[in-house]
Amino acid sequence: MTTALAGTAEFRTLLEEELGLYLEEEDLDRPLDDFPDWDSVLLLRLVTVVEGVVGGRIPVADLLQVRTFRQMHQVVTDR
Amino acid sequence: MTAPTAHLASVGTCLPGEPVDNATLAKFVGVDETWAEMFIGNTSRYFAVDLATGQVRYSLADIAATAADRALAEAGLGPSDIDCVVMGTATPDHLMPATVNLVADRLGIDNVPTYQLQSGCAGAVQALDVARTLLLAGRCATVLVIGGDVCAKHLERDFDPGSRTSAELVNYALFGDGAGAAVLSTDPLGTGIAIRQVLNRLVGLGREPGQIIDWFGLGDRHSDRPAVSEDYKAIEETVPPLAQQMFWELLGDLGWGADQVDFLLPPQLSGRMSDRISAAMPAPGARRINVVRTVGNNGNALPFLQLAELLSQWDGPGRAVAVAVESSKWIKSGFALERS
Repeated sequence: MTTALAGTAEFRTLLEEELGLYLEEEDLDRPLDDFPDWDSVLLLRLVTVVEGVVGGRIPVADLLQVRTFRQMHQVVTDR
Repeated sequence: MTAPTAHLASVGTCLPGEPVDNATLAKFVGVDETWAEMFIGNTSRYFAVDLATGQVRYSLADIAATAADRALAEAGLGPSDIDCVVMGTATPDHLMPATVNLVADRLGIDNVPTYQLQSGCAGAVQALDVARTLLLAGRCATVLVIGGDVCAKHLERDFDPGSRTSAELVNYALFGDGAGAAVLSTDPLGTGIAIRQVLNRLVGLGREPGQIIDWFGLGDRHSDRPAVSEDYKAIEETVPPLAQQMFWELLGDLGWGADQVDFLLPPQLSGRMSDRISAAMPAPGARRINVVRTVGNNGNALPFLQLAELLSQWDGPGRAVAVAVESSKWIKSGFALERS
Protein backbone atom coordinates (compact mmCIF):
# COMPACT_ATOMS: atom_id res chain seq x y z
CA MET A 1 0.00 0.00 0.00
CA THR A 2 1.24 3.41 -0.90
CA THR A 3 0.84 6.15 1.63
CA ALA A 4 0.74 8.92 -1.02
CA LEU A 5 -2.64 7.72 -2.28
CA ALA A 6 -3.85 5.79 0.77
CA GLY A 7 -7.03 7.78 1.20
CA THR A 8 -9.75 8.52 -1.33
CA ALA A 9 -9.29 12.25 -0.69
CA GLU A 10 -5.72 12.07 -2.01
CA PHE A 11 -6.93 10.02 -4.95
CA ARG A 12 -9.61 12.60 -5.78
CA THR A 13 -7.02 15.38 -5.57
CA LEU A 14 -4.80 13.51 -8.01
CA LEU A 15 -7.71 13.00 -10.42
CA GLU A 16 -8.49 16.70 -10.31
CA GLU A 17 -4.95 18.05 -10.54
CA GLU A 18 -3.55 15.62 -13.08
CA LEU A 19 -6.59 14.69 -15.15
CA GLY A 20 -8.86 17.69 -14.67
CA LEU A 21 -11.57 15.41 -13.29
CA TYR A 22 -13.33 16.89 -10.23
CA LEU A 23 -15.15 14.29 -8.14
CA GLU A 24 -17.07 14.48 -4.87
CA GLU A 25 -16.60 11.57 -2.46
CA GLU A 26 -19.98 10.10 -3.44
CA ASP A 27 -19.04 10.20 -7.13
CA LEU A 28 -16.51 7.45 -6.43
CA ASP A 29 -19.32 4.87 -6.39
CA ARG A 30 -21.02 6.01 -9.59
CA PRO A 31 -20.49 3.84 -12.69
CA LEU A 32 -17.67 5.07 -14.94
CA ASP A 33 -20.20 5.33 -17.78
CA ASP A 34 -21.65 8.34 -15.93
CA PHE A 35 -18.49 10.31 -16.77
CA PRO A 36 -18.50 11.16 -20.47
CA ASP A 37 -14.98 12.62 -20.26
CA TRP A 38 -13.52 9.40 -18.87
CA ASP A 39 -11.87 7.32 -21.59
CA SER A 40 -8.96 5.00 -22.31
CA VAL A 41 -6.64 7.92 -23.01
CA LEU A 42 -7.26 9.38 -19.54
CA LEU A 43 -6.73 5.90 -18.12
CA LEU A 44 -3.24 5.83 -19.66
CA ARG A 45 -2.46 9.20 -18.11
CA LEU A 46 -3.78 8.00 -14.74
CA VAL A 47 -1.60 4.87 -14.89
CA THR A 48 1.43 6.95 -15.83
CA VAL A 49 0.88 9.52 -13.08
CA VAL A 50 0.09 6.95 -10.38
CA GLU A 51 3.14 4.87 -11.29
CA GLY A 52 5.20 8.04 -10.89
CA VAL A 53 3.67 8.75 -7.46
CA VAL A 54 3.93 5.22 -6.06
CA GLY A 55 7.22 4.38 -7.76
CA GLY A 56 6.13 1.03 -9.19
CA ARG A 57 3.96 -0.76 -11.73
CA ILE A 58 0.17 -0.71 -11.57
CA PRO A 59 -1.69 -3.88 -12.66
CA VAL A 60 -3.38 -2.35 -15.71
CA ALA A 61 -5.28 -5.54 -16.52
CA ASP A 62 -7.01 -5.25 -13.11
CA LEU A 63 -7.68 -1.56 -13.68
CA LEU A 64 -9.54 -2.43 -16.87
CA GLN A 65 -12.03 -4.54 -14.91
CA VAL A 66 -13.17 -1.83 -12.51
CA ARG A 67 -16.57 -0.16 -12.76
CA THR A 68 -16.13 2.76 -10.38
CA PHE A 69 -13.42 5.18 -9.28
CA ARG A 70 -13.52 3.65 -5.78
CA GLN A 71 -12.66 0.24 -7.23
CA MET A 72 -9.90 1.95 -9.21
CA HIS A 73 -8.53 3.41 -6.00
CA GLN A 74 -8.57 -0.08 -4.44
CA VAL A 75 -6.57 -1.55 -7.32
CA VAL A 76 -4.02 1.25 -6.95
CA THR A 77 -3.68 0.83 -3.18
CA ASP A 78 -3.75 -3.00 -3.18
CA ARG A 79 -0.83 -3.31 -5.57
CA MET B 1 -4.63 6.73 -80.39
CA THR B 2 -5.91 5.14 -77.19
CA ALA B 3 -5.65 6.95 -73.87
CA PRO B 4 -2.72 5.78 -71.74
CA THR B 5 -3.26 3.59 -68.67
CA ALA B 6 -1.31 4.05 -65.44
CA HIS B 7 0.20 0.81 -64.19
CA LEU B 8 1.69 -0.10 -60.85
CA ALA B 9 5.06 -1.47 -61.94
CA SER B 10 6.62 -2.16 -58.54
CA VAL B 11 6.69 -1.32 -54.83
CA GLY B 12 9.62 -0.96 -52.42
CA THR B 13 9.61 -0.30 -48.67
CA CYS B 14 12.03 0.51 -45.87
CA LEU B 15 11.46 0.18 -42.12
CA PRO B 16 14.40 1.50 -40.09
CA GLY B 17 16.21 -0.71 -37.59
CA GLU B 18 14.69 -3.53 -35.58
CA PRO B 19 11.02 -3.71 -34.57
CA VAL B 20 10.37 -2.08 -31.18
CA ASP B 21 7.84 -4.09 -29.17
CA ASN B 22 5.53 -2.75 -26.47
CA ALA B 23 7.73 -3.96 -23.62
CA THR B 24 10.71 -2.05 -25.03
CA LEU B 25 8.57 1.01 -25.59
CA ALA B 26 7.32 0.82 -21.98
CA LYS B 27 10.90 0.59 -20.76
CA PHE B 28 12.13 3.68 -22.60
CA VAL B 29 9.15 6.02 -22.73
CA GLY B 30 6.93 4.74 -19.93
CA VAL B 31 3.78 3.92 -21.91
CA ASP B 32 2.24 0.92 -20.20
CA GLU B 33 2.47 -2.13 -22.47
CA THR B 34 -0.85 -3.70 -21.39
CA TRP B 35 -2.58 -0.42 -22.20
CA ALA B 36 -0.83 -0.13 -25.58
CA GLU B 37 -1.85 -3.67 -26.48
CA MET B 38 -5.48 -3.22 -25.36
CA PHE B 39 -6.31 0.23 -26.67
CA ILE B 40 -3.93 0.86 -29.56
CA GLY B 41 -3.48 -2.74 -30.62
CA ASN B 42 -0.07 -2.21 -32.21
CA THR B 43 2.46 -4.84 -31.23
CA SER B 44 5.54 -3.22 -32.76
CA ARG B 45 6.86 -0.24 -34.72
CA TYR B 46 10.18 0.98 -36.10
CA PHE B 47 12.09 4.12 -35.21
CA ALA B 48 14.84 6.00 -37.01
CA VAL B 49 16.12 6.80 -33.51
CA ASP B 50 17.88 4.22 -31.37
CA LEU B 51 15.70 4.37 -28.24
CA ALA B 52 18.50 3.04 -26.04
CA THR B 53 21.00 5.78 -26.94
CA GLY B 54 18.87 8.55 -28.44
CA GLN B 55 21.06 8.53 -31.53
CA VAL B 56 19.28 9.40 -34.79
CA ARG B 57 20.39 6.65 -37.14
CA TYR B 58 18.41 7.50 -40.27
CA SER B 59 16.94 10.60 -41.89
CA LEU B 60 13.76 10.53 -43.93
CA ALA B 61 15.93 10.94 -47.05
CA ASP B 62 17.89 7.81 -46.02
CA ILE B 63 14.90 5.50 -45.69
CA ALA B 64 12.97 7.06 -48.59
CA ALA B 65 15.99 6.57 -50.89
CA THR B 66 16.30 2.94 -49.78
CA ALA B 67 12.60 2.29 -50.43
CA ALA B 68 12.81 4.02 -53.83
CA ASP B 69 15.95 2.11 -54.75
CA ARG B 70 14.15 -1.15 -53.96
CA ALA B 71 11.13 -0.14 -56.07
CA LEU B 72 13.41 0.73 -59.02
CA ALA B 73 15.27 -2.58 -58.70
CA GLU B 74 11.98 -4.48 -58.50
CA ALA B 75 10.80 -2.81 -61.73
CA GLY B 76 14.15 -3.48 -63.39
CA LEU B 77 14.63 0.25 -63.99
CA GLY B 78 17.47 2.68 -63.42
CA PRO B 79 17.45 6.36 -62.42
CA SER B 80 17.57 7.51 -66.04
CA ASP B 81 14.25 5.75 -66.71
CA ILE B 82 12.40 8.00 -64.22
CA ASP B 83 10.94 11.16 -65.68
CA CYS B 84 9.21 12.55 -62.59
CA VAL B 85 9.35 12.09 -58.80
CA VAL B 86 6.44 12.81 -56.42
CA MET B 87 6.80 12.48 -52.66
CA GLY B 88 4.37 12.89 -49.76
CA THR B 89 5.44 13.48 -46.16
CA ALA B 90 4.32 15.22 -42.98
CA THR B 91 7.84 15.20 -41.55
CA PRO B 92 10.38 16.43 -44.12
CA ASP B 93 14.02 16.46 -42.99
CA HIS B 94 14.06 20.22 -43.64
CA LEU B 95 11.54 22.74 -44.83
CA MET B 96 14.10 23.45 -47.56
CA PRO B 97 15.50 21.73 -49.51
CA ALA B 98 12.50 19.49 -50.03
CA THR B 99 13.34 15.90 -49.09
CA VAL B 100 12.18 14.68 -52.51
CA ASN B 101 15.14 16.47 -54.08
CA LEU B 102 17.63 15.00 -51.61
CA VAL B 103 16.22 11.56 -52.41
CA ALA B 104 16.48 12.22 -56.16
CA ASP B 105 20.11 13.23 -55.64
CA ARG B 106 20.86 10.00 -53.75
CA LEU B 107 19.29 7.99 -56.55
CA GLY B 108 21.07 9.86 -59.34
CA ILE B 109 17.87 11.36 -60.73
CA ASP B 110 18.17 14.85 -62.25
CA ASN B 111 16.66 17.16 -64.82
CA VAL B 112 13.08 15.96 -64.24
CA PRO B 113 10.11 17.58 -62.49
CA THR B 114 9.85 16.78 -58.78
CA TYR B 115 7.01 17.50 -56.38
CA GLN B 116 6.71 17.22 -52.62
CA LEU B 117 3.31 17.22 -50.98
CA GLN B 118 2.94 18.40 -47.39
CA SER B 119 0.61 15.62 -46.39
CA GLY B 120 -0.51 13.20 -43.70
CA CYS B 121 -2.26 9.86 -43.90
CA ALA B 122 -3.77 10.61 -47.32
CA GLY B 123 -0.36 11.68 -48.67
CA ALA B 124 0.50 8.48 -50.48
CA VAL B 125 -2.82 8.62 -52.32
CA GLN B 126 -2.33 12.30 -53.17
CA ALA B 127 1.12 11.48 -54.56
CA LEU B 128 -0.35 8.62 -56.60
CA ASP B 129 -3.03 11.04 -57.84
CA VAL B 130 -0.43 13.55 -59.08
CA ALA B 131 1.64 10.78 -60.67
CA ARG B 132 -1.30 9.16 -62.42
CA THR B 133 -2.60 12.51 -63.66
CA LEU B 134 0.80 13.25 -65.23
CA LEU B 135 0.89 9.79 -66.83
CA LEU B 136 -2.64 10.06 -68.24
CA ALA B 137 -1.92 13.55 -69.55
CA GLY B 138 1.06 12.20 -71.47
CA ARG B 139 3.48 14.44 -69.59
CA CYS B 140 5.50 11.50 -68.28
CA ALA B 141 5.89 7.79 -68.95
CA THR B 142 7.47 6.53 -65.72
CA VAL B 143 6.98 8.22 -62.34
CA LEU B 144 8.58 7.38 -59.00
CA VAL B 145 6.13 7.92 -56.12
CA ILE B 146 7.43 8.03 -52.55
CA GLY B 147 5.85 8.41 -49.11
CA GLY B 148 7.44 8.35 -45.70
CA ASP B 149 7.65 9.81 -42.23
CA VAL B 150 10.23 9.98 -39.46
CA CYS B 151 9.09 11.16 -36.02
CA ALA B 152 12.59 11.40 -34.48
CA LYS B 153 12.06 15.11 -33.85
CA HIS B 154 9.10 14.29 -31.61
CA LEU B 155 10.58 11.31 -29.75
CA GLU B 156 11.92 12.35 -26.38
CA ARG B 157 13.73 10.01 -24.03
CA ASP B 158 14.60 10.36 -20.36
CA PHE B 159 11.58 12.48 -19.54
CA ASP B 160 9.09 12.15 -16.72
CA PRO B 161 6.12 10.39 -18.36
CA GLY B 162 3.87 11.95 -15.69
CA SER B 163 4.63 15.38 -17.17
CA ARG B 164 3.10 14.48 -20.53
CA THR B 165 -0.50 15.01 -21.60
CA SER B 166 -2.65 11.99 -22.38
CA ALA B 167 -2.44 12.66 -26.12
CA GLU B 168 1.35 12.92 -26.03
CA LEU B 169 1.60 9.55 -24.27
CA VAL B 170 -0.73 7.92 -26.79
CA ASN B 171 1.44 9.14 -29.66
CA TYR B 172 4.36 7.09 -28.40
CA ALA B 173 2.32 3.91 -28.73
CA LEU B 174 0.72 4.92 -32.02
CA PHE B 175 3.40 6.18 -34.35
CA GLY B 176 6.49 4.80 -36.00
CA ASP B 177 8.82 5.54 -38.88
CA GLY B 178 9.00 4.13 -42.38
CA ALA B 179 9.07 4.83 -46.08
CA GLY B 180 7.61 3.31 -49.20
CA ALA B 181 7.82 3.87 -52.93
CA ALA B 182 6.16 2.74 -56.12
CA VAL B 183 7.01 3.01 -59.78
CA LEU B 184 4.05 3.96 -61.97
CA SER B 185 4.30 3.55 -65.69
CA THR B 186 2.23 3.81 -68.85
CA ASP B 187 3.87 0.53 -69.89
CA PRO B 188 2.44 -2.57 -68.21
CA LEU B 189 5.72 -3.35 -66.47
CA GLY B 190 6.16 -5.77 -63.60
CA THR B 191 2.98 -6.60 -61.74
CA GLY B 192 0.57 -6.11 -64.67
CA ILE B 193 -1.70 -4.16 -62.33
CA ALA B 194 -3.60 -1.16 -63.71
CA ILE B 195 -4.52 1.81 -61.51
CA ARG B 196 -8.15 2.30 -62.48
CA GLN B 197 -8.99 5.25 -60.27
CA VAL B 198 -7.48 7.59 -57.68
CA LEU B 199 -9.73 9.93 -55.67
CA ASN B 200 -8.60 12.58 -53.24
CA ARG B 201 -10.97 15.10 -51.67
CA LEU B 202 -10.70 17.71 -48.96
CA VAL B 203 -13.81 17.44 -46.76
CA GLY B 204 -12.72 19.79 -43.98
CA LEU B 205 -15.02 22.74 -44.61
CA GLY B 206 -16.06 24.05 -41.20
CA ARG B 207 -14.43 21.12 -39.37
CA GLU B 208 -11.77 21.64 -36.71
CA PRO B 209 -8.50 19.84 -37.50
CA GLY B 210 -8.28 16.35 -35.97
CA GLN B 211 -4.50 16.48 -35.88
CA ILE B 212 -1.99 19.32 -35.74
CA ILE B 213 1.79 19.01 -36.10
CA ASP B 214 3.41 22.34 -35.35
CA TRP B 215 6.88 23.57 -36.27
CA PHE B 216 9.18 25.96 -34.48
CA GLY B 217 11.98 28.36 -35.35
CA LEU B 218 14.29 30.70 -33.45
CA GLY B 219 11.51 33.17 -32.76
CA ASP B 220 9.03 30.73 -31.22
CA ARG B 221 11.06 27.69 -30.18
CA HIS B 222 10.30 28.32 -26.50
CA SER B 223 6.58 28.51 -27.20
CA ASP B 224 4.42 26.26 -25.05
CA ARG B 225 2.37 25.12 -28.05
CA PRO B 226 2.35 21.31 -28.28
CA ALA B 227 4.45 19.94 -31.15
CA VAL B 228 1.83 17.30 -31.94
CA SER B 229 -1.80 17.21 -30.87
CA GLU B 230 -4.81 15.12 -31.78
CA ASP B 231 -8.54 15.12 -31.17
CA TYR B 232 -8.89 11.38 -30.66
CA LYS B 233 -12.63 11.42 -30.16
CA ALA B 234 -13.18 13.27 -33.44
CA ILE B 235 -10.86 10.87 -35.25
CA GLU B 236 -12.62 7.82 -33.82
CA GLU B 237 -16.03 9.17 -34.84
CA THR B 238 -15.21 10.66 -38.23
CA VAL B 239 -12.75 8.31 -39.93
CA PRO B 240 -15.07 5.25 -40.25
CA PRO B 241 -17.88 7.09 -42.12
CA LEU B 242 -15.40 8.95 -44.36
CA ALA B 243 -13.75 5.62 -45.20
CA GLN B 244 -17.09 4.09 -46.14
CA GLN B 245 -18.02 7.10 -48.29
CA MET B 246 -14.73 6.86 -50.18
CA PHE B 247 -15.19 3.12 -50.71
CA TRP B 248 -18.61 3.65 -52.30
CA GLU B 249 -17.40 6.64 -54.37
CA LEU B 250 -14.61 4.55 -55.88
CA LEU B 251 -16.97 1.67 -56.65
CA GLY B 252 -19.58 4.05 -58.06
CA ASP B 253 -17.03 5.69 -60.37
CA LEU B 254 -15.88 2.34 -61.71
CA GLY B 255 -19.23 0.56 -61.80
CA TRP B 256 -17.86 -2.20 -59.57
CA GLY B 257 -20.00 -4.07 -57.05
CA ALA B 258 -18.81 -4.46 -53.44
CA ASP B 259 -18.85 -8.23 -53.97
CA GLN B 260 -16.39 -7.84 -56.86
CA VAL B 261 -13.61 -6.52 -54.64
CA ASP B 262 -11.01 -9.19 -53.90
CA PHE B 263 -8.72 -7.13 -51.66
CA LEU B 264 -9.45 -4.20 -49.38
CA LEU B 265 -6.74 -1.89 -48.00
CA PRO B 266 -8.51 0.02 -45.17
CA PRO B 267 -7.26 3.18 -43.42
CA GLN B 268 -4.40 2.32 -41.01
CA LEU B 269 -4.82 4.32 -37.81
CA SER B 270 -3.87 1.72 -35.23
CA GLY B 271 -4.23 -2.04 -34.97
CA ARG B 272 -7.42 -1.76 -32.98
CA MET B 273 -9.05 1.04 -35.01
CA SER B 274 -8.12 -0.49 -38.36
CA ASP B 275 -9.58 -3.85 -37.39
CA ARG B 276 -12.82 -2.12 -36.44
CA ILE B 277 -13.00 0.02 -39.58
CA SER B 278 -11.98 -2.90 -41.72
CA ALA B 279 -14.64 -5.23 -40.28
CA ALA B 280 -17.36 -2.62 -40.84
CA MET B 281 -16.45 -1.93 -44.47
CA PRO B 282 -18.93 -3.33 -46.95
CA ALA B 283 -16.78 -5.67 -49.05
CA PRO B 284 -18.01 -9.10 -48.00
CA GLY B 285 -15.59 -11.26 -49.98
CA ALA B 286 -12.52 -9.04 -49.81
CA ARG B 287 -9.36 -10.09 -48.03
CA ARG B 288 -8.29 -7.27 -45.70
CA ILE B 289 -4.72 -5.98 -45.95
CA ASN B 290 -3.85 -4.41 -42.58
CA VAL B 291 -0.24 -3.79 -41.60
CA VAL B 292 -0.32 -1.06 -38.93
CA ARG B 293 -0.38 -3.55 -36.05
CA THR B 294 3.22 -4.58 -36.70
CA VAL B 295 4.72 -1.53 -38.44
CA GLY B 296 3.07 1.27 -36.41
CA ASN B 297 1.39 4.33 -37.88
CA ASN B 298 4.06 5.70 -40.18
CA GLY B 299 1.73 8.04 -42.06
CA ASN B 300 2.71 8.54 -45.65
CA ALA B 301 4.47 5.15 -45.80
CA LEU B 302 1.45 3.02 -44.80
CA PRO B 303 -0.33 2.61 -48.16
CA PHE B 304 2.98 1.51 -49.74
CA LEU B 305 3.47 -1.06 -46.98
CA GLN B 306 -0.08 -2.27 -47.61
CA LEU B 307 0.67 -2.44 -51.35
CA ALA B 308 3.80 -4.50 -50.69
CA GLU B 309 1.74 -6.91 -48.58
CA LEU B 310 -0.98 -6.95 -51.24
CA LEU B 311 1.51 -7.91 -53.96
CA SER B 312 2.80 -10.77 -51.81
CA GLN B 313 -0.74 -12.19 -51.57
CA TRP B 314 -2.17 -11.35 -54.99
CA ASP B 315 -1.94 -14.02 -57.68
CA GLY B 316 -3.91 -13.92 -60.90
CA PRO B 317 -6.69 -11.55 -61.94
CA GLY B 318 -8.70 -9.52 -59.47
CA ARG B 319 -9.58 -6.14 -58.03
CA ALA B 320 -8.29 -4.22 -55.01
CA VAL B 321 -9.58 -1.06 -53.35
CA ALA B 322 -7.58 1.10 -50.91
CA VAL B 323 -8.91 3.87 -48.67
CA ALA B 324 -6.93 6.40 -46.60
CA VAL B 325 -8.32 9.20 -44.44
CA GLU B 326 -6.29 12.14 -43.20
CA SER B 327 -7.63 13.68 -40.01
CA SER B 328 -5.56 16.89 -40.02
CA LYS B 329 -7.94 19.10 -42.00
CA TRP B 330 -9.89 16.00 -43.08
CA ILE B 331 -9.17 14.44 -46.44
CA LYS B 332 -10.74 11.26 -47.77
CA SER B 333 -8.85 9.42 -50.46
CA GLY B 334 -8.55 6.09 -52.16
CA PHE B 335 -7.53 4.16 -55.22
CA ALA B 336 -8.60 1.10 -57.16
CA LEU B 337 -6.40 -1.50 -58.83
CA GLU B 338 -7.22 -4.22 -61.33
CA ARG B 339 -5.33 -7.08 -62.88
CA SER B 340 -6.94 -8.76 -65.89
